[in-house]
Amino acid sequence: MLNVLFGLMLGAALLYGLLRGRADAVTGAVLQGAGDAVKSALDMAGMFALFCGMGEILTRAGAAQWLGKKLRPALRLLLGPAMPGDALEYAAMNLTANLLGLGNAATPMGVEAARRMARGMDEASNALCMFLVINASSVQLLPTTVLSLRAAEGSSNPGAVILPAIAATGISTLVGVLSCKLMEKRA
Amino acid sequence: MNIPLSLFFLLCVGVGAARRTPLYDAFADGAKEGLQTAKRILPPLIAMLCAIRAFSASGLTDALSAFLAPALQGARIPKETLPLMLLRPLSGSASLAMLKEILHTYGPDSRIGLVASVMMGSSETVFYTCCVYLGAAGVRRSRHTIPCALLAWLAGSIAAGLLTPGW
Repeated sequence: MLNVLFGLMLGAALLYGLLRGRADAVTGAVLQGAGDAVKSALDMAGMFALFCGMGEILTRAGAAQWLGKKLRPALRLLLGPAMPGDALEYAAMNLTANLLGLGNAATPMGVEAARRMARGMDEASNALCMFLVINASSVQLLPTTVLSLRAAEGSSNPGAVILPAIAATGISTLVGVLSCKLMEKRA
Repeated sequence: MNIPLSLFFLLCVGVGAARRTPLYDAFADGAKEGLQTAKRILPPLIAMLCAIRAFSASGLTDALSAFLAPALQGARIPKETLPLMLLRPLSGSASLAMLKEILHTYGPDSRIGLVASVMMGSSETVFYTCCVYLGAAGVRRSRHTIPCALLAWLAGSIAAGLLTPGW
Protein backbone atom coordinates (compact mmCIF):
# COMPACT_ATOMS: atom_id res chain seq x y z
CA MET A 1 0.00 0.00 0.00
CA LEU A 2 2.71 2.47 1.00
CA ASN A 3 4.74 1.38 -2.02
CA VAL A 4 1.88 2.22 -4.37
CA LEU A 5 1.08 5.47 -2.60
CA PHE A 6 4.69 6.65 -2.62
CA GLY A 7 5.05 5.89 -6.32
CA LEU A 8 1.72 7.49 -7.22
CA MET A 9 2.31 10.69 -5.29
CA LEU A 10 5.86 11.21 -6.44
CA GLY A 11 5.18 10.12 -10.02
CA ALA A 12 2.04 12.25 -10.39
CA ALA A 13 3.76 15.26 -8.82
CA LEU A 14 6.82 15.05 -11.08
CA LEU A 15 4.75 14.49 -14.20
CA TYR A 16 2.24 17.23 -13.42
CA GLY A 17 5.08 19.57 -12.45
CA LEU A 18 6.77 18.97 -15.81
CA LEU A 19 3.53 19.54 -17.74
CA ARG A 20 2.78 22.72 -15.83
CA GLY A 21 6.32 24.07 -16.05
CA ARG A 22 6.81 23.70 -12.33
CA ALA A 23 9.55 21.07 -12.54
CA ASP A 24 11.97 23.33 -10.65
CA ALA A 25 9.56 23.90 -7.78
CA VAL A 26 8.79 20.18 -7.52
CA THR A 27 12.44 19.17 -7.49
CA GLY A 28 13.16 21.85 -4.91
CA ALA A 29 10.30 20.57 -2.77
CA VAL A 30 11.66 17.01 -2.88
CA LEU A 31 15.11 18.19 -1.79
CA GLN A 32 13.65 20.39 0.91
CA GLY A 33 11.40 17.57 2.10
CA ALA A 34 14.38 15.29 2.68
CA GLY A 35 16.20 17.99 4.63
CA ASP A 36 13.14 18.93 6.66
CA ALA A 37 12.49 15.27 7.52
CA VAL A 38 15.89 15.04 9.18
CA LYS A 39 15.34 18.33 10.99
CA SER A 40 11.94 17.31 12.28
CA ALA A 41 13.26 13.88 13.24
CA LEU A 42 15.99 15.58 15.27
CA ASP A 43 13.37 17.72 17.03
CA MET A 44 11.29 14.61 17.55
CA ALA A 45 14.25 12.62 18.86
CA GLY A 46 14.37 14.97 21.84
CA MET A 47 10.61 14.67 22.33
CA PHE A 48 10.73 10.89 21.99
CA ALA A 49 13.51 10.66 24.56
CA LEU A 50 11.71 13.02 26.94
CA PHE A 51 8.35 11.28 26.82
CA CYS A 52 9.76 7.77 26.75
CA GLY A 53 11.80 8.76 29.80
CA MET A 54 8.70 10.04 31.59
CA GLY A 55 6.77 6.98 30.44
CA GLU A 56 9.46 4.71 31.85
CA ILE A 57 9.16 6.43 35.24
CA LEU A 58 5.41 5.84 35.18
CA THR A 59 5.87 2.27 34.01
CA ARG A 60 8.34 1.43 36.79
CA ALA A 61 6.10 3.13 39.34
CA GLY A 62 3.31 0.77 38.29
CA ALA A 63 1.04 3.51 36.91
CA ALA A 64 1.00 1.95 33.47
CA GLN A 65 -0.42 -1.29 34.83
CA TRP A 66 -3.06 0.67 36.70
CA LEU A 67 -4.05 2.71 33.64
CA GLY A 68 -3.89 -0.35 31.41
CA LYS A 69 -6.29 -2.15 33.71
CA LYS A 70 -8.78 0.73 33.52
CA LEU A 71 -8.80 0.92 29.73
CA ARG A 72 -8.14 -2.77 29.19
CA PRO A 73 -11.72 -4.04 28.78
CA ALA A 74 -12.56 -1.49 26.08
CA LEU A 75 -9.25 -1.94 24.30
CA ARG A 76 -9.40 -5.72 24.41
CA LEU A 77 -12.84 -5.56 22.86
CA LEU A 78 -11.48 -3.45 20.00
CA LEU A 79 -8.09 -5.07 19.51
CA GLY A 80 -9.02 -8.70 20.08
CA PRO A 81 -8.19 -11.22 22.82
CA ALA A 82 -4.77 -12.25 21.49
CA MET A 83 -3.09 -9.02 22.60
CA PRO A 84 0.14 -9.32 24.60
CA GLY A 85 -0.11 -7.52 27.96
CA ASP A 86 2.76 -5.08 27.47
CA ALA A 87 1.43 -3.95 24.09
CA LEU A 88 -2.00 -3.39 25.65
CA GLU A 89 -0.47 -1.24 28.37
CA TYR A 90 1.35 0.99 25.92
CA ALA A 91 -1.78 1.19 23.77
CA ALA A 92 -3.74 2.28 26.85
CA MET A 93 -1.18 5.00 27.65
CA ASN A 94 -1.20 6.13 24.03
CA LEU A 95 -4.99 6.38 24.08
CA THR A 96 -4.99 8.36 27.33
CA ALA A 97 -2.43 10.83 26.00
CA ASN A 98 -4.43 11.19 22.78
CA LEU A 99 -7.66 11.84 24.64
CA LEU A 100 -5.96 14.64 26.56
CA GLY A 101 -4.47 16.17 23.43
CA LEU A 102 -0.87 15.36 24.37
CA GLY A 103 0.17 14.42 20.86
CA ASN A 104 3.87 14.53 21.66
CA ALA A 105 3.42 12.08 24.49
CA ALA A 106 1.07 9.84 22.56
CA THR A 107 3.35 9.11 19.61
CA PRO A 108 6.29 7.41 21.40
CA MET A 109 3.88 5.27 23.42
CA GLY A 110 1.86 4.40 20.33
CA VAL A 111 5.03 3.47 18.47
CA GLU A 112 6.03 1.22 21.35
CA ALA A 113 2.59 -0.41 21.34
CA ALA A 114 2.72 -0.95 17.57
CA ARG A 115 6.21 -2.47 17.80
CA ARG A 116 5.10 -4.92 20.45
CA MET A 117 1.92 -5.80 18.55
CA ALA A 118 3.83 -6.51 15.34
CA ARG A 119 6.49 -8.72 16.98
CA GLY A 120 8.65 -8.62 13.88
CA MET A 121 5.88 -9.79 11.57
CA ASP A 122 5.82 -8.41 8.04
CA GLU A 123 2.04 -8.10 7.79
CA ALA A 124 -0.15 -6.01 10.08
CA SER A 125 -2.49 -8.05 12.30
CA ASN A 126 -6.16 -7.13 12.73
CA ALA A 127 -5.28 -5.60 16.09
CA LEU A 128 -2.51 -3.43 14.65
CA CYS A 129 -4.78 -2.22 11.83
CA MET A 130 -7.46 -1.30 14.35
CA PHE A 131 -4.95 0.45 16.61
CA LEU A 132 -3.57 2.49 13.71
CA VAL A 133 -7.02 3.48 12.48
CA ILE A 134 -8.03 4.64 15.98
CA ASN A 135 -4.86 6.71 16.17
CA ALA A 136 -5.23 8.12 12.66
CA SER A 137 -8.85 9.11 13.20
CA SER A 138 -7.97 11.12 16.33
CA VAL A 139 -9.76 10.68 19.65
CA GLN A 140 -8.84 14.08 21.02
CA LEU A 141 -11.25 15.63 23.54
CA LEU A 142 -9.48 18.99 23.79
CA PRO A 143 -8.07 20.31 20.48
CA THR A 144 -5.43 22.40 22.23
CA THR A 145 -3.50 23.47 19.12
CA VAL A 146 -6.65 24.60 17.29
CA LEU A 147 -7.83 26.53 20.36
CA SER A 148 -4.56 28.38 20.77
CA LEU A 149 -4.48 29.21 17.06
CA ARG A 150 -8.05 30.56 17.20
CA ALA A 151 -7.22 32.66 20.25
CA ALA A 152 -4.11 33.99 18.52
CA GLU A 153 -6.21 35.07 15.54
CA GLY A 154 -8.46 37.11 17.82
CA SER A 155 -11.54 34.88 18.02
CA SER A 156 -14.28 36.19 20.30
CA ASN A 157 -15.04 32.59 21.32
CA PRO A 158 -12.14 30.19 20.70
CA GLY A 159 -13.92 27.36 22.52
CA ALA A 160 -16.97 27.44 20.22
CA VAL A 161 -15.50 24.54 18.25
CA ILE A 162 -14.90 22.15 21.17
CA LEU A 163 -18.28 20.38 21.09
CA PRO A 164 -18.56 20.13 17.28
CA ALA A 165 -14.96 18.91 17.17
CA ILE A 166 -15.65 16.17 19.74
CA ALA A 167 -18.74 15.12 17.78
CA ALA A 168 -16.87 15.14 14.46
CA THR A 169 -13.90 13.18 15.81
CA GLY A 170 -16.29 10.73 17.49
CA ILE A 171 -18.02 10.14 14.16
CA SER A 172 -14.72 9.70 12.34
CA THR A 173 -13.43 7.20 14.93
CA LEU A 174 -16.71 5.29 14.84
CA VAL A 175 -16.60 5.04 11.04
CA GLY A 176 -12.96 3.93 11.20
CA VAL A 177 -13.63 1.23 13.82
CA LEU A 178 -16.72 -0.10 12.04
CA SER A 179 -15.03 -0.24 8.65
CA CYS A 180 -12.06 -2.03 10.24
CA LYS A 181 -14.35 -4.64 11.81
CA LEU A 182 -16.02 -5.10 8.44
CA MET A 183 -12.70 -5.66 6.70
CA GLU A 184 -11.64 -8.16 9.38
CA LYS A 185 -14.72 -10.24 8.70
CA ARG A 186 -14.08 -10.18 4.95
CA ALA A 187 -10.47 -11.35 5.25
CA MET B 1 -1.12 23.09 25.76
CA ASN B 2 1.30 24.03 28.50
CA ILE B 3 -0.88 23.50 31.54
CA PRO B 4 -1.97 19.92 30.76
CA LEU B 5 1.61 19.19 29.81
CA SER B 6 3.08 20.51 33.05
CA LEU B 7 0.43 18.56 34.95
CA PHE B 8 1.50 15.44 33.04
CA PHE B 9 5.16 15.94 33.97
CA LEU B 10 4.18 16.64 37.56
CA LEU B 11 2.15 13.43 37.59
CA CYS B 12 5.11 11.41 36.29
CA VAL B 13 7.55 12.79 38.87
CA GLY B 14 4.97 12.72 41.66
CA VAL B 15 3.84 9.14 41.07
CA GLY B 16 7.44 8.02 40.58
CA ALA B 17 8.56 9.63 43.81
CA ALA B 18 5.58 8.31 45.76
CA ARG B 19 6.33 4.77 44.62
CA ARG B 20 10.06 5.21 45.34
CA THR B 21 11.08 4.75 41.71
CA PRO B 22 14.69 5.70 40.87
CA LEU B 23 13.58 8.72 38.81
CA TYR B 24 16.83 9.57 37.06
CA ASP B 25 17.73 5.98 36.15
CA ALA B 26 14.26 5.22 34.85
CA PHE B 27 14.20 8.42 32.79
CA ALA B 28 17.62 7.74 31.27
CA ASP B 29 16.63 4.18 30.32
CA GLY B 30 13.41 5.36 28.74
CA ALA B 31 15.18 8.18 26.88
CA LYS B 32 17.62 5.67 25.41
CA GLU B 33 14.75 3.66 24.01
CA GLY B 34 13.12 6.82 22.68
CA LEU B 35 16.24 7.80 20.75
CA GLN B 36 16.42 4.39 19.11
CA THR B 37 12.80 4.77 18.05
CA ALA B 38 13.55 8.16 16.50
CA LYS B 39 16.39 6.59 14.53
CA ARG B 40 14.10 3.84 13.24
CA ILE B 41 11.44 6.19 11.88
CA LEU B 42 13.78 8.54 10.01
CA PRO B 43 14.02 6.66 6.66
CA PRO B 44 10.24 6.27 6.18
CA LEU B 45 9.78 9.87 7.27
CA ILE B 46 12.17 11.16 4.61
CA ALA B 47 10.37 9.18 1.90
CA MET B 48 6.95 10.44 2.92
CA LEU B 49 7.91 14.07 3.34
CA CYS B 50 9.54 14.17 -0.11
CA ALA B 51 6.41 12.77 -1.74
CA ILE B 52 4.09 15.12 0.15
CA ARG B 53 6.13 18.25 -0.61
CA ALA B 54 6.42 17.33 -4.29
CA PHE B 55 2.65 16.78 -4.44
CA SER B 56 1.74 20.24 -3.17
CA ALA B 57 4.55 22.02 -5.06
CA SER B 58 3.37 20.56 -8.38
CA GLY B 59 0.00 22.24 -7.91
CA LEU B 60 -1.87 18.94 -7.69
CA THR B 61 -3.32 19.83 -4.28
CA ASP B 62 -4.90 22.98 -5.75
CA ALA B 63 -6.07 21.16 -8.88
CA LEU B 64 -7.71 18.47 -6.77
CA SER B 65 -9.56 20.97 -4.61
CA ALA B 66 -10.89 22.82 -7.68
CA PHE B 67 -12.04 19.46 -9.06
CA LEU B 68 -13.73 18.33 -5.83
CA ALA B 69 -15.45 21.59 -4.84
CA PRO B 70 -18.87 20.84 -6.42
CA ALA B 71 -18.91 17.25 -5.12
CA LEU B 72 -18.66 18.37 -1.51
CA GLN B 73 -21.27 21.10 -1.60
CA GLY B 74 -23.79 18.54 -0.38
CA ALA B 75 -21.85 18.17 2.86
CA ARG B 76 -21.92 21.98 3.28
CA ILE B 77 -18.12 22.10 3.15
CA PRO B 78 -17.01 25.54 1.90
CA LYS B 79 -14.56 25.34 -0.99
CA GLU B 80 -12.15 27.60 0.90
CA THR B 81 -11.56 24.78 3.41
CA LEU B 82 -10.88 22.11 0.76
CA PRO B 83 -7.10 22.60 0.65
CA LEU B 84 -7.08 22.10 4.42
CA MET B 85 -9.25 19.01 4.13
CA LEU B 86 -6.91 17.51 1.53
CA LEU B 87 -3.77 18.43 3.44
CA ARG B 88 -5.08 17.13 6.78
CA PRO B 89 -4.23 13.44 6.20
CA LEU B 90 -0.92 14.29 4.50
CA SER B 91 0.92 16.64 6.80
CA GLY B 92 0.28 17.95 10.30
CA SER B 93 2.48 21.02 10.04
CA ALA B 94 1.25 21.91 6.54
CA SER B 95 -2.40 21.61 7.55
CA LEU B 96 -1.77 23.67 10.69
CA ALA B 97 -0.18 26.37 8.53
CA MET B 98 -3.19 26.17 6.21
CA LEU B 99 -5.62 26.50 9.13
CA LYS B 100 -3.74 29.55 10.36
CA GLU B 101 -4.00 31.08 6.90
CA ILE B 102 -7.74 30.37 6.65
CA LEU B 103 -8.42 31.82 10.11
CA HIS B 104 -6.37 34.87 9.24
CA THR B 105 -8.05 35.45 5.85
CA TYR B 106 -11.69 34.72 6.69
CA GLY B 107 -11.69 35.30 10.46
CA PRO B 108 -11.84 32.63 13.19
CA ASP B 109 -15.54 33.26 13.91
CA SER B 110 -16.74 33.10 10.30
CA ARG B 111 -18.40 29.88 9.14
CA ILE B 112 -15.35 29.10 7.01
CA GLY B 113 -13.12 29.57 10.06
CA LEU B 114 -15.36 27.40 12.24
CA VAL B 115 -15.57 24.54 9.72
CA ALA B 116 -11.80 24.68 9.25
CA SER B 117 -11.20 24.54 13.02
CA VAL B 118 -13.51 21.54 13.49
CA MET B 119 -11.99 19.82 10.46
CA MET B 120 -8.50 20.22 11.87
CA GLY B 121 -9.55 18.55 15.13
CA SER B 122 -11.63 15.79 13.54
CA SER B 123 -8.76 13.71 12.19
CA GLU B 124 -5.08 13.03 12.58
CA THR B 125 -2.33 13.09 9.98
CA VAL B 126 -3.33 9.70 8.53
CA PHE B 127 -0.33 8.99 6.29
CA TYR B 128 2.21 10.35 8.75
CA THR B 129 0.76 8.43 11.70
CA CYS B 130 0.54 5.18 9.76
CA CYS B 131 4.00 5.72 8.27
CA VAL B 132 5.65 6.36 11.65
CA TYR B 133 3.91 3.48 13.44
CA LEU B 134 4.33 0.95 10.64
CA GLY B 135 7.94 1.99 10.11
CA ALA B 136 8.78 1.61 13.79
CA ALA B 137 6.98 -1.73 13.95
CA GLY B 138 8.81 -2.96 10.84
CA VAL B 139 5.53 -3.85 9.13
CA ARG B 140 5.45 -3.64 5.33
CA ARG B 141 1.97 -4.81 4.43
CA SER B 142 -0.56 -2.59 6.17
CA ARG B 143 -3.65 -4.31 4.69
CA HIS B 144 -6.84 -2.29 5.23
CA THR B 145 -5.28 0.29 7.56
CA ILE B 146 -5.01 3.22 5.15
CA PRO B 147 -8.38 2.74 3.37
CA CYS B 148 -10.20 2.56 6.72
CA ALA B 149 -8.27 5.54 8.11
CA LEU B 150 -9.11 7.57 5.01
CA LEU B 151 -12.78 6.63 5.34
CA ALA B 152 -12.65 7.91 8.92
CA TRP B 153 -11.02 11.15 7.72
CA LEU B 154 -13.74 11.60 5.09
CA ALA B 155 -16.47 11.00 7.67
CA GLY B 156 -14.84 13.51 10.03
CA SER B 157 -14.58 16.16 7.31
CA ILE B 158 -18.21 15.71 6.25
CA ALA B 159 -19.26 15.86 9.90
CA ALA B 160 -17.32 19.13 10.25
CA GLY B 161 -19.35 20.60 7.38
CA LEU B 162 -22.71 19.29 8.56
CA LEU B 163 -22.27 20.03 12.28
CA THR B 164 -21.25 23.66 11.83
CA PRO B 165 -24.38 25.83 11.73
CA GLY B 166 -25.07 28.47 9.10
CA TRP B 167 -24.12 28.33 5.45
